Amino acid sequence: MIEFKNVSYSYACGRPVLHDISLRIEDGEQVGLIGANGAGKSTLLKAAVGLISAQGVITVNGMSVSADNLPEIRKTIGYVLQNSDNQMFMPTVLEDMTFGPMNYGMSRSEAEALADETLAGLGLSHLKNRHNHRMSGGEKRMAAIATALAMRPGTLIMDEPSSSLDPRNRRGLINTLNSLGQTKIIATHDLDMVLETCDRVILLSDGAIAADGKAGDVLRDRELLEKNGLELPFCLAGVPERTRG
Amino acid sequence: MNAARKAYAEIKEIDELVLGDSPVHRLSPLSKLAVTFIYILTVVSFNRYDITGLFVMVLVPVIGYQASGIPVSKCFSKLWPVMPMVCAVGLFNPLFDREIMLYVGPLAVSGGVISMLTLMMKGVFCVMASFLLVATTPIDEICRALRQIRIHRMFISLLLLTYRYITVLLNEAAVMTDAYHLRAPRQKGIQFSAWGSFLGQLLLRSMDRTQELYESMVMRGFEGEFHYARTRAASAYSVPFALICSAAVVLMRFYNISAALGSLFV
Repeated sequence: MIEFKNVSYSYACGRPVLHDISLRIEDGEQVGLIGANGAGKSTLLKAAVGLISAQGVITVNGMSVSADNLPEIRKTIGYVLQNSDNQMFMPTVLEDMTFGPMNYGMSRSEAEALADETLAGLGLSHLKNRHNHRMSGGEKRMAAIATALAMRPGTLIMDEPSSSLDPRNRRGLINTLNSLGQTKIIATHDLDMVLETCDRVILLSDGAIAADGKAGDVLRDRELLEKNGLELPFCLAGVPERTRG
Repeated sequence: MNAARKAYAEIKEIDELVLGDSPVHRLSPLSKLAVTFIYILTVVSFNRYDITGLFVMVLVPVIGYQASGIPVSKCFSKLWPVMPMVCAVGLFNPLFDREIMLYVGPLAVSGGVISMLTLMMKGVFCVMASFLLVATTPIDEICRALRQIRIHRMFISLLLLTYRYITVLLNEAAVMTDAYHLRAPRQKGIQFSAWGSFLGQLLLRSMDRTQELYESMVMRGFEGEFHYARTRAASAYSVPFALICSAAVVLMRFYNISAALGSLFV
């Protein structure tokens, strides 16, 4: 369970990013975090895992996000960055996957066994010894998710997981996300994916919550979406007509 | 291809060399590190006039390159910017040490020339041995070996993160240079007036990326100590290799093989 109480955050220059956010995400929920560029989605996710220090109270499984609790909190939350190249910093997928478990005290053989199991579960065993710079964008994204899952997190946080994926890889990602039992928080502009993977949607606008409700309800509200810089998902809007030429 | 992309490709090419499967690649990183270290120490310990004794030391890296399947020329082609600096050491010796040491036919050779050649050879041999280690051992495994010999974790993290930062920096520089040239097609290189903002942006962009890399590390429990997975099992010959090779290197130091071979013909 992750809870935000009156959370605010401003950049060093004073520009506010989050205003008085209060929300609660229960275990097992699949939450889509949507909003226009600069709405504060990534900042909110970073605050949840203590990568930035926000004002207000954030608790994860009852532990407040503070320096003392960060190791335990980060063990329970898998964080998948938008850019897989930044997520995968070791030479091979195996080394990247064992990095986290070994930092948490697991032996090398245990960590490797865990990595094998995780890769097999995702159908990615063929990537085990692949060098990170030799993988396609889609493979990198799946491997990045695997590195987070190798920590056996209870919650998975993902920042724009479907960006720069081709339709086939995107479909593979959606199927994988739907097969995972963890609590998921997905920050994205891909509203179609949210509709397929999430039960609940939180719409952020200028650092504040503009809507919080069932995915089907929020994502069908054309007026609300357009007011906040978004559009109806393609699957609901139909094929758009050409506006030019 | 712009210079940054070329440099990035060069680094990646070394990463590719590491993937080979020769007997040298299969040796444990610690044994290779130990032999390289002993070799370098031995090479630099030669007397500045002992050119014949030193000359035989070239055999060690040359045999290593042959066994690893990596052409010796690869070392020189990759490290050509460094080689002039290596060779420049001792360039002024002939000016200061003019005592005639030997005659090659009618040609008098001074001590300064011999010591200059010795210094150059020492530098080149050490670079060859170091490149062989880097081209047959992944950086992470070298770091693991350094950790095994109790080098402080701070130094190792610094080494590894610097290596990562170089690739990030080069990658960003390549993207920015491409973007620049797309909008300045007739320019050769980057105009001097643009260097300030270019370098500033490069620094900021690479810092953003390294910040993300660091965040990814701390999210997975990184607290300053790298733990390394085994990427391949070390060969059973690693320990015998280290012992025999080190012994051979030390023997070559104290027994002048060139002179012994020469005496057979004189």
